[in-house]
Amino acid sequence: MLSLSGVSKSFPGVRALSEVSLDVRSGEIHALVGENGAGKSTLTRTIAGVHQPDEGTIRFDGRDIRWTSPGDAKKAGIHVIYQEFVLFPHLSVAENIYIGHERKTRFCLIDHKKAAADARELLARFGLDLDPKAMVSDLSVADQQMVEIAKALVHDVKLLILDEPTAVISGPEVDVLFKRLRALRDAGVAIIYISHRLEEIFALCDRVSVLKDGRYIGTRPVAEVDRNELISMMVGRSLVELFPPRRTLAADRPTVLEVSDVSVPGRVRNASLVLRAGEITGLAGMVGAGRSELAFAIFGALKKSGGSVVLDGKDISKTTPAEAIAAGIGLVTEDRKGQGLAMLLDIAANITASTLPTVTRYGLIDRNQENSIAEAEIANYRVACRGPSTGVLQMSGGNQQKVILARWARTSSRVLILDEPTRGVDVGAKTEIYRIIHELADSGIAVLMISSELPEIVGLSDRVYVMREGEIVGALETDEISEQAVIALATHQLAA
Amino acid sequence: MNLTRSKLGFGINRSRAGIIVVVALLAILFIIGIAVSDRFGTSRNLLNIYEQSTGLALVSLGQTLAVLTGGIDLSVGSVISLVSMLTSGLISGDQSMVIPVVIGVLALGLAIGAVNGGVIILTGVHPLIVTLGTGAIIQGIALLYGLGPIGKVPKGFDYFAYGRLPGGISFGATFTMLLFLLTAFLLARTKAGRYIYATGDDPHAATLMGLPTTRIIMLVYMLTGFCSALTGVYLVSRFGVGQPYTGANYTLASITPVVVGGTMLAGGRGGVIGTLLGVYLVSLLNNLLNFLGVSTHLQLVAQGLVIIAAVSVYVEKRRIA
Repeated sequence: MLSLSGVSKSFPGVRALSEVSLDVRSGEIHALVGENGAGKSTLTRTIAGVHQPDEGTIRFDGRDIRWTSPGDAKKAGIHVIYQEFVLFPHLSVAENIYIGHERKTRFCLIDHKKAAADARELLARFGLDLDPKAMVSDLSVADQQMVEIAKALVHDVKLLILDEPTAVISGPEVDVLFKRLRALRDAGVAIIYISHRLEEIFALCDRVSVLKDGRYIGTRPVAEVDRNELISMMVGRSLVELFPPRRTLAADRPTVLEVSDVSVPGRVRNASLVLRAGEITGLAGMVGAGRSELAFAIFGALKKSGGSVVLDGKDISKTTPAEAIAAGIGLVTEDRKGQGLAMLLDIAANITASTLPTVTRYGLIDRNQENSIAEAEIANYRVACRGPSTGVLQMSGGNQQKVILARWARTSSRVLILDEPTRGVDVGAKTEIYRIIHELADSGIAVLMISSELPEIVGLSDRVYVMREGEIVGALETDEISEQAVIALATHQLAA
Repeated sequence: MNLTRSKLGFGINRSRAGIIVVVALLAILFIIGIAVSDRFGTSRNLLNIYEQSTGLALVSLGQTLAVLTGGIDLSVGSVISLVSMLTSGLISGDQSMVIPVVIGVLALGLAIGAVNGGVIILTGVHPLIVTLGTGAIIQGIALLYGLGPIGKVPKGFDYFAYGRLPGGISFGATFTMLLFLLTAFLLARTKAGRYIYATGDDPHAATLMGLPTTRIIMLVYMLTGFCSALTGVYLVSRFGVGQPYTGANYTLASITPVVVGGTMLAGGRGGVIGTLLGVYLVSLLNNLLNFLGVSTHLQLVAQGLVIIAAVSVYVEKRRIA
């Protein structure tokens, strides 16, 4: 269906793709893996006509093609579901589905009735339960994902490319997505599936191709490859152990933070948990279980309707985020770009952002001191960059995350809450971040780590709380932690 | 309910919040007006308010389109001034010149809009800056053409501003209202209309979806230029002569009804019906303040308060997570 040979693409200063050759057959789900910056997104965009290749040929559906715009590729039957949704939040579901292919009346006017009816039928045909007239901004992220898929189904899609489709959904929604994708595959659609989650590739895909540093490494049938081989293809070295060895916990681990019966209307009900010094406490559960909301409530960024938060024996239930930071609590949000980093500033400015008074003299920022702090942290956290004045916008997700961790580690002397600390981060950077989390905990900070990735929860946590539908439904001690135990609690299945 | 939905449909839907607010404010002002003066509620006064809304309505119509795409046009005032000068200056009292000159200046409005749109697309500079620049240039050209009122127009040219239809209803205001209804319909029921909303809602997504965003931007600024030119012609009809600063106040004034009518400056939300009601609100407010004997300076204060009050209603509550 799709055949690339010798495709290269350079941007000023970067060779993003270098002689990539790749074959994708119709009726297969073809995984595309590689670390961040390996060229997966560039490749996707080249196939989709956003970029034009500098060299090489792309054959699609039996003929050589050269797109001049995304519209060309779409017409030919290539549909991409990007990691960042390409949806118009203030248009309805039906309007989004038919954008660019509006349903028309005889007079060339848009036929709202037909669009709504057609959308309803299309959604029903694929078992998607959505109201075509609903505004997209009112939908959950998972439902927005379904709208993206429905959009692909409108056209006679021959090649469907999904870039990290499960980054924002979890559990049952992933199962629904997989079911739809398998149905599409069986209908003869070629699917390219990009994901960092190797489990998904083994569960869903037929073949897997690996990119590294813009080069094509190889393609293997999924049935003939194992996790370690895949990782070694991706990073060029074998990562037998993704997680650092378990730490020996100090005997004396005093309680640092005690959360009792905290509620957030509609989100969290009577949640209680305890964080101890030097421990990594995992907070597991499905997306939407109320984990982030609980974190925000502890941090004082979300109003509590009841309950108390006690830090070092002092009641801080009514704290504001500024007071929480002053008290030594840090919160690394899951949305790096939205809430974490000032994308336009450089590394130094980001690292010192929450400790500015320490680098300020006579009301002015001491850039030299700021830079030397930044240089120390860059070395400490092994941030790959040109120096303290590198703009964070140009860095990979993994390095951005390290910068955020560096910033918060400077202020959070007592408690550090990490919300999905490795989202959108590649395998290599993940191990680095795990190492940093370990070091932070070893220094005596109580770490609360929210994660939707089970291996991460199991591999890193000393204790685990599991949330479901706003409630904490279970706590697991070190020797009780297993993927099965967490899943059972998170989904309310009986433990197998 | 069903009928309104299908007839004006999604157009109304998109600016429903704005329409409710403005209608409520209109009602409140109207009741105050009746309470303070017997003459306020007379059909004569109401028809006056209607008639006086024409100029602001015309220029705000174009402005709404620019704002819907997430842009803005700050050159409208200068275009109005230049067009008013050229209209009266070139017609210069000659009846036979009326039609060619009016067609010419409207085409000039389109051309200026095309330049605005073209520069925005080619340079990628924010429309605010581009139109601020072109606006200054055009104002300069208007002043080069003449430093004061220039030319004159033949009898009958004032029909646009002062003509009355049967029942004493203003021709110009009615023409303008029909233009708004037509635009509302086209926005709701044509591809171009849909793409205007989509481009404003998320320009990046629009590009990735293969929507013709550059053509949409071009179209919108051409229409804005056209509306400004039409406003310039209207002002000549009203005052009988073009003046180099006649449009100066319209640049910022044109934004008031847009935002009061519920169109978001960020683009993608709102609509022209809200703007039209916003125009009526401004007209009604000024008229009411006149009745109350409030000085024009205080009228400005009142206008400012209305803008802030109305818009703060739309501001979405900030949510975390």
